[in-house]
Amino acid sequence: MKAAGLALVLLSGATRLAAQGVVIAPHAVFIDARTRSGAVLLYNPNTDPVEVAVSFFFGYPATDSAGRIVVDSIRHPDSTSVSAAAWIQAFPRRLTVPPLERQTVRLLATPPPGLADGEYWARLVISAKGGQLPVTGVADTARVKVGLTLEVRTIIGVYYRKGAVHTGVALSRLRTAVVGDSLAVWARVTQQGNAAYIGTAHAVLTDSTGRTLSEMKAPIGVYYTMEPRYALAIGALAPGRYRLRFDLSTGREDLAPELVLPSPPVRDSVEVRVP
Amino acid sequence: MSRLRHSGLLLLALLVPRPGVSQGVGGTLAVDANIIGQALTVTTLSALNFGSVPKGVATTVLPTAAGAGAWQIQGSKNADVSMTFVLPAVLTNIQALPGSTMPISFGATSARWNRATNNVAGATAFNPIAGTTGKLGPPANPFLYLWIGGTVTPAAATKPGVYTGTIIVTIAYL
Repeated sequence: MKAAGLALVLLSGATRLAAQGVVIAPHAVFIDARTRSGAVLLYNPNTDPVEVAVSFFFGYPATDSAGRIVVDSIRHPDSTSVSAAAWIQAFPRRLTVPPLERQTVRLLATPPPGLADGEYWARLVISAKGGQLPVTGVADTARVKVGLTLEVRTIIGVYYRKGAVHTGVALSRLRTAVVGDSLAVWARVTQQGNAAYIGTAHAVLTDSTGRTLSEMKAPIGVYYTMEPRYALAIGALAPGRYRLRFDLSTGREDLAPELVLPSPPVRDSVEVRVP
Repeated sequence: MSRLRHSGLLLLALLVPRPGVSQGVGGTLAVDANIIGQALTVTTLSALNFGSVPKGVATTVLPTAAGAGAWQIQGSKNADVSMTFVLPAVLTNIQALPGSTMPISFGATSARWNRATNNVAGATAFNPIAGTTGKLGPPANPFLYLWIGGTVTPAAATKPGVYTGTIIVTIAYL
C-alpha cells in the first residue's frame, strides 16, 4: 500500500485492526511425477482483502541443541541435495484474495531430465498481508503516533515423488530426565530409504504394574537425523521405577492414508528411576 | 472468532461439495478433510500499537498489554510449529519528510506463546529475535496463540507524525 494510502487510513481514524489471515489447505503438498502438478487452496474468511505472495526455498525440519524442532533452510543446496525448490513453480505467485472468497495456487514441477527415483523436497512460503494500519486517533499533526503492521508468512512442505519411493526410521539413544513436573524424553531418529519419514511419535510412561501414568502423541517428520525432545506431564511422581515406551509409526490423522508412505513401526523403551 | 475457528473445515466443505450427502457439521466434513488434507490458518488478531508516545521518553508495550500484536494459529492437533520474526530496527514517519525515523527494540521477553488457549497471562515468554518452537493444542483446541510487544525510543526532537514499520512473523509447519 502506498504511503499516501496509509496516511489516509490513519487519518480516517481506524480504531482497530480487523482479524486478518488466510486459510491454507492442505498443509502439505505431495506431487506425483506422473502429473507433476499440485494445488494449494487459499480462503479468506475475513472482511478485508488479503494480498498473498508465494515463493519456495529448500529446507527441512531438524533439531537444535535443545531438541527443539526448527526448519533448516539451505540457501544454496548443492547438486547432491534433494531440493525441488529450483524447479517447482507456483501460478500465480502474487494474488489478492477478496473477502470470503477462495483462490487456487497451482504448483507445476519441471524436474531436470534423468532425475533419479526418490522424493524431493521444497518449502512453500505463503506471505499474507492485510491492508490496514493499527494506529488510532484522528488527524493530529502535533503528536507522535506509533503503530506496526504485521505480515504473516506460513511455510508448508512440498514433496515431489518419482518412481519407487520408500521410507523408514532408525531409533536409538532413547533417554529421559525428570524436569520439574515433566519427564523430558529424547531419542535419536534417522531417516531411511529415499523419502522423508512422515509419522507419529508416541510415548507412554507406565508404572511397575503396566498402568499408564502419562502419554503423548505428536506428528513427526524425519528428513535426515534429528534428536527431538518431548515432554510428558507427570506431576509429582512418587519415587520408584517406571518404564518409558517410545514408538514411531507412519499413521497420521492429519494426512490422507494414501499420501503417507507405510513403514513398520519402530519401538524402544527405557527404565525411568525417580529418586 | 467462531467464524475463524471453523474456517478451515468450512473451506473444505465449500471446496468438496458432495451431492446427496449431508453437509452438516458431522462426519461429512471429516471425510472431506481426509480427501483434501487439513487446513492451516494464521490469523492476525491485532497489530502492535503504541498509540501516541511522548517525545524523549522510551515507551514499552508489553506482550501482555492491550496494544500488543497478536496472532492465532490453527492447524493439526499437537503439531509442532516454529515461530520466527523479521523485526524492524527503526520506524519511518510516513507523514514527515524522508529520513525521519524512530528506533524500536525488542527484548528477551518481548514475545509470548500459549498452547490451545487465548490467555497471554499464562503464556510462555521468549525472545522474538531468537524465535522459538511451539505446539498446537489438543484435538478439542488445536490452536496456538502468539503475542509481541516492543520498545520505541523517540528522541526529544522527534518530528510529529505517524511512525510505522512491519513485523513479519513466519510460522513453519514442522
